[in-house]
Amino acid sequence: MLELRSVSYRYAGYRRLALDRVDLTVADGEIVGLVGPNEGGKSTLCLVAAGLAPGSIGGVLTGAVLLDGESLAGRPTHELAGQVGIVFADPASQRSGIAGTVFEEVAIGPINLGLPVDDTVARVRGALAALGIEDLALCAPDRLSGGQSQLVALASILAMRPRHLVLDEPTAELDPEGRRLVEDALASLARTGTALLIAEHDRQLLASLGARLVAIDGGRIVPAEGAAA
Amino acid sequence: MISRIWLRVLVGGAALAGTVFIGLSGSSFDTTPAAGGVPAGANQFMLVLALALIVGFLFYEAVEWLQTRRLDSITHQFTTRTIVLMPFAIALNIVLGQTVASALKLPIYLDSIGTILVGVLAGPLAGAATGLLSNLAWTFMLASTPFGSPYAWPFAITATEIGLLAGLFGYLGAFRPRPRTLPAMLVAGVVAGAVLLGALLWYGILPAYRDLGCGPGNAAASPDGVCTPIAFLHTSDPLFIALAIVLLAIVIMAAVVLLVRLARDRDLGVVYVLVAGAVCGVVSAFISTPIAALVFGGVTGSGTDFLVAAFQQAGSSLEDAVRQQSLISDPIDKTITYLIVFTLLASTSRRLTARFPQGERALGTVED
Amino acid sequence: MADEAADLSAPDAQLLARLIPPTPTVWDRYNPLTKATLAAATTIAALGLGGYLTQGLLFAALVLPGAIAGRVVWRVVRTAALVTLPLAVAVGLVSVFTRPGLTILFRVGPFDATLEGLDFAARVVVHLFVMAAALILFGATTSPRAFVVDLERRGVSPRLAFAIGAVLDTVPAIVERAREVLEAQRARGLDTEGGLLRRATSILPLAGPVVVGALHHVEARSLALEARGFGRPGPRHLLWAPADTATERAIRWLLLVAVVALVVAAATGAISHAP
Repeated sequence: MLELRSVSYRYAGYRRLALDRVDLTVADGEIVGLVGPNEGGKSTLCLVAAGLAPGSIGGVLTGAVLLDGESLAGRPTHELAGQVGIVFADPASQRSGIAGTVFEEVAIGPINLGLPVDDTVARVRGALAALGIEDLALCAPDRLSGGQSQLVALASILAMRPRHLVLDEPTAELDPEGRRLVEDALASLARTGTALLIAEHDRQLLASLGARLVAIDGGRIVPAEGAAA
Repeated sequence: MISRIWLRVLVGGAALAGTVFIGLSGSSFDTTPAAGGVPAGANQFMLVLALALIVGFLFYEAVEWLQTRRLDSITHQFTTRTIVLMPFAIALNIVLGQTVASALKLPIYLDSIGTILVGVLAGPLAGAATGLLSNLAWTFMLASTPFGSPYAWPFAITATEIGLLAGLFGYLGAFRPRPRTLPAMLVAGVVAGAVLLGALLWYGILPAYRDLGCGPGNAAASPDGVCTPIAFLHTSDPLFIALAIVLLAIVIMAAVVLLVRLARDRDLGVVYVLVAGAVCGVVSAFISTPIAALVFGGVTGSGTDFLVAAFQQAGSSLEDAVRQQSLISDPIDKTITYLIVFTLLASTSRRLTARFPQGERALGTVED
Repeated sequence: MADEAADLSAPDAQLLARLIPPTPTVWDRYNPLTKATLAAATTIAALGLGGYLTQGLLFAALVLPGAIAGRVVWRVVRTAALVTLPLAVAVGLVSVFTRPGLTILFRVGPFDATLEGLDFAARVVVHLFVMAAALILFGATTSPRAFVVDLERRGVSPRLAFAIGAVLDTVPAIVERAREVLEAQRARGLDTEGGLLRRATSILPLAGPVVVGALHHVEARSLALEARGFGRPGPRHLLWAPADTATERAIRWLLLVAVVALVVAAATGAISHAP
């Protein structure tokens, strides 16, 4: 379960609050769709929920972010990796740029966790199989279509086996085919009990996933009907 | 906390001074000016100074380790963001150094934009590491690609120095935009900058050309027999007169562009960047001269080689000719590069730059 | 490494073996660090030792055998000649006509071409050629990825390994981006052909979008990597590493000792250095 209790957040060097007393709960196996206008706070909320703000990007956070009841306050980002994962919109910039094959790209997370080789191999095989992209294992990561790339980015996070997953517009830069691939993957992921928080413009995607909609505007949670998606 | 840092500075400074003292007392220096107006002992003195700086730094870090069991002053510069920026910076050096400069056919190198960027945003050590890795990667990592250059690695020392200096200047705030400076301050700043640049020119650059006017081959060129740093102006070689005119034209054009900018934005930061870039250029010229002379016979295969030929023809030795060439090319190149980095960073969202270890300090606090 | 590999199931071991970049020839199969050490030692020796005969011997002893074993003789010689050519022309023009000497070969206008100048230029060109050939041999027979993995296996920090390794993918990406920007700016009427001042003022519109684009990319990539535990301290278990042998280790130490001896000899004046 992923919980935000009265969370306010301010970016480093800015006076304006990017998030203003936000309360949000995502239960295990639940899909919550985050909607709202651009610059309304969707991406900020994603960074906060994934523990990257303030851990990686600085700024000031008040209130509490809880994973399964445990507060994230003061914990370095690398400790959270494996508990909560995040996927961004642009597949290219999520690629590490050091892997010669998709298999090695997906293995980077487990290797960073310090796992023995056989565990790493098992996790990478599992993540690739979960998304149905085993046949990409030996491809070069920079020679894939947009949809395939995004699936590799997702697999790279899944190989960490997080119980909570945050996705910031995961299909925004994909074609319809890529969108369908990611949608199927997310639906099956929720069935395994993972808590999913998806910020998305595409209400159709959220509807077909059966997501509970939460709207955010001006850094505050607003009634879902009132927000322009 | 402050007293701890002072203790480190004190110990480091004492170690530096001690090393200089031992280094200088152990050997005697030849202070008579050799060819080029630089005393023969100067190279040895610079070597002692460089070693002393390293010793001082090591002592500083040793004290920090004893105090905290950590080396935060080093490691805090190498955050994930810095590490991820480094390959981009290296690629920028290589690509802009090779393609853009050649597409624009300008006689400058532009191969240190990335190094300077990392130095300013992440700190001196990160900048130095980027410079060093940049030239090594250029030679070893890219050897099998069309971008590789087997001739980049000897200049790794210069690249390291460029990153280190950029980091120090960033720390000191030389890259901070200073828009809407009060007119009186602006005038005072421009005058101070002009004085600093003049001093750099007089003491750092002109002595290298002294012998052009008063060397054995040009004895007659100095009418009153007194050798001044500008004695080479008496030379009658048409090549140098043409060169002087071209240089003067470049300097005047740059001055006009900068004055327009100063008047329009009233941004005093331009003056800071100008002085810092010129200092970096002069230091780089002195460091790369022996490398270029020893390894490459004084050439780089670019448009600056004709200058080396001209100075040699005028009677300079190979190393002097390379230094005379570098002291023209490097300050121009580094000043332009500094101005480019300054302009780019000033117009980049602070949300991006402030997240680097030294970003907020180097560019000032952000607006809303 | 080897102990862990023994624990793997056969299909896993096969899969990991397929991740290793191909090594088609005997020379490719040598450890990357051995080849790098050889290239570095050759360049330093070429720099430190004078004389045409010595340079020829260095080439014949330290470059040619590897090039033959790696079946890249023509590629090494051609590439080394190509990269040396501009420098050869420059050093020829700079030295042949400007170096004072007693033996004058011919005159062009007021300039004397001296034998001493020609000799100096030829020495520089020969040692540059040997240096380039040694490094190109390394590049032509070594996978850069294998080199980085090998360094990491030997204890180079994973962060440093990342900074070096990512250069390989980033350079073509930046080239692509620079080309896009150049074309876009030309389409908008940016003049990259005009006079000196005009070309100088076009640096910023070219470099600007490339640099700012890179900063955006860095931000996204560092967040994505942090989310994958990049900042975690402690050891890592790599999937594969290039093979290494005791013989190769001995060769590397031998080369290192030889280079140190050479540097000491040059520094103390026991041998004169080129050129």
